[in-house]
Amino acid sequence: MFSFLFRRVLVLIPTYIGITLAAFAFIHVIPGDPILIMAGERGLPPEKYAELMHAFGYDQPLWKQYLDYIGQLLQGDFGNSFVTGRPVLEEFFELFPATLELSFFALFFALLIGIPAGIYAAVRRGTIFDHSLMTISLTGFSMPLFWWALLLIVFFSGYLGWTPVSGRISALYFFDTPTGFMLIDSLLSDEEGAFKSAVMHLILPAVALGTIPMATFARQSRSAMLETLSEDFIKTARAKGLSPFKVTMAHAFRNALIPIVTVIGLSVGVLLGGAILTETIFSWPGIGKWMVDSIFRRDYPVVQGGLILIATIVIIVNLTVDMLYGIIDPRIRKKGH
Amino acid sequence: MSVESTPNQNQQSALMAVLASFWFEFRQNKGALYGLVFIGILAFVAIFADLITPYDPVEQYRDVLKMPPVWAEGGSWTHIFGTDALGRDQLSRMIYGSRYSFYIGSIVIFFCLTIGIVLGLIAAFNRGFIENLIMRLMDIILAFPSLLMALALVAILGPSLENAMIAIAVVFIPHFVRLTRAQALSELGKDYVSSSKSMGASTWRLMFINVLPNCMAPLIVQATMSFSSAILDAAALGFLGMGAQPPSPEWGTMLADSRQYILSDPWMMGIPGLAILFTVLSINLIGDGLRDALDPKMKTAKS
Repeated sequence: MFSFLFRRVLVLIPTYIGITLAAFAFIHVIPGDPILIMAGERGLPPEKYAELMHAFGYDQPLWKQYLDYIGQLLQGDFGNSFVTGRPVLEEFFELFPATLELSFFALFFALLIGIPAGIYAAVRRGTIFDHSLMTISLTGFSMPLFWWALLLIVFFSGYLGWTPVSGRISALYFFDTPTGFMLIDSLLSDEEGAFKSAVMHLILPAVALGTIPMATFARQSRSAMLETLSEDFIKTARAKGLSPFKVTMAHAFRNALIPIVTVIGLSVGVLLGGAILTETIFSWPGIGKWMVDSIFRRDYPVVQGGLILIATIVIIVNLTVDMLYGIIDPRIRKKGH
Repeated sequence: MSVESTPNQNQQSALMAVLASFWFEFRQNKGALYGLVFIGILAFVAIFADLITPYDPVEQYRDVLKMPPVWAEGGSWTHIFGTDALGRDQLSRMIYGSRYSFYIGSIVIFFCLTIGIVLGLIAAFNRGFIENLIMRLMDIILAFPSLLMALALVAILGPSLENAMIAIAVVFIPHFVRLTRAQALSELGKDYVSSSKSMGASTWRLMFINVLPNCMAPLIVQATMSFSSAILDAAALGFLGMGAQPPSPEWGTMLADSRQYILSDPWMMGIPGLAILFTVLSINLIGDGLRDALDPKMKTAKS
């Protein structure tokens, strides 16, 4: 297992260097001088400009700048935001729990409904349930996420008035947020009704963000189950007289897990991308909204650092998925692919 | 003059036979047919937009602001889908908007297919350093969530519909490269390639005449699915203000315009949203049908 992991990490090194190069290039190909953007409308006297150019190292040759940049990254220094002046890494860790909380519940919602529905559709192949599920999931799969989020707001917040429109918690509550996860923090606080408010704020964005992955999971688990259900070992299991439930879950589902785990892994990128739209629409203070705002505010150190940090998350998740394959299917581990 | 068919005619009738059997398979899929019909109608509307639109899509009728559609209370037949906050006729904007969808999808797919196929074939034919270089480059693009990558690229290039399309194409290309390479590698081991090689075929001939046609089926399916993703992503970029710029009647941009009225006039966002949903759904249905028809192996697994 260790050597399997080691080989995987080794392959990542050139990719990771490329990612830092791409993020480094970003600030140099973007139109406009970063110093002038930082200075804002008023502009700068030339001597101050030269001083800043030197302070930020922009007067150095490019390769030197890149090496310095890598050196800073290795020390955990992702630069400071032009707008707030705070370290990018600090802002990232402050906002990341919000995105994690949202994505976790979106994924939870998607798995909870998508996979059982897909399995059931495969077992009851050709029935009305199967056909309607496939129609619904194809529709979900084709849904423009931002429109779906707006529809949910119109119906649940506007028409029924059940849920709030934006934010993570009602502005009435003030309490410390030691973990950054609003559900936990609101429980820890003594504020009456804070937890309920946090839940109500979370439901709509989580459902909006989870819908497209849910459709993908339902489709994928159905087709993976159909494939394994037609295998010989399933016939054997049935012939042995095992209960249909045991055949489905212990024999078929376990073997259908590989393609399902693959889509779950791939959906993390989809979730992070979707978080950009969902967080913008629901004013959810996470890294997706942070990135969009920074792009609009031309806060380039944040965009640059955020790109690297988000790519790091995607890479770590892909690595975890690879390792899960090894655990689910020992054949993959042995082959080393 | 002989009655027997010339080789050219033989080839033609063989092609007809392939197309006929393809159509036979494709027809089996009801959903794909519905999708095809919807896209056909939409294409008709897009082509003849100039003739069928009742109004100019950017003309502002200031005396009928935010008029509801005809089926709602206060609607009128003068503006069937109503008017937006600036008094522009929604139906005309929707009709012109369909042009943008086809434009976006076609251009993005054109770039993805040409660049993706060329890079994928180069990688498959040059195992080792060049292959690694290309594939690692694709890994880098794939390490970023596609919408974020597209947003960052548009930030560099400047917000416009054309730049949004370039950004979307860049984000989609890695999938085409990987698919082409994998297909080409599996074809390269086959006998017909070695025999062609032994007869002195050049690398170019091997790449584009021998190998490529046998890689096309999954690429066509991928292209269809990417066509719909391109429309979705372009609409998302337009919605964020990073795609088509006002006053162009692009559907995502129209949704962004209607966003502040979602609670007071929800129909305003309903129509463009439904149009995007049906277009994307239809193309995905066609893609499913194509996959079944072009690749019988996948059919047993999928349906």
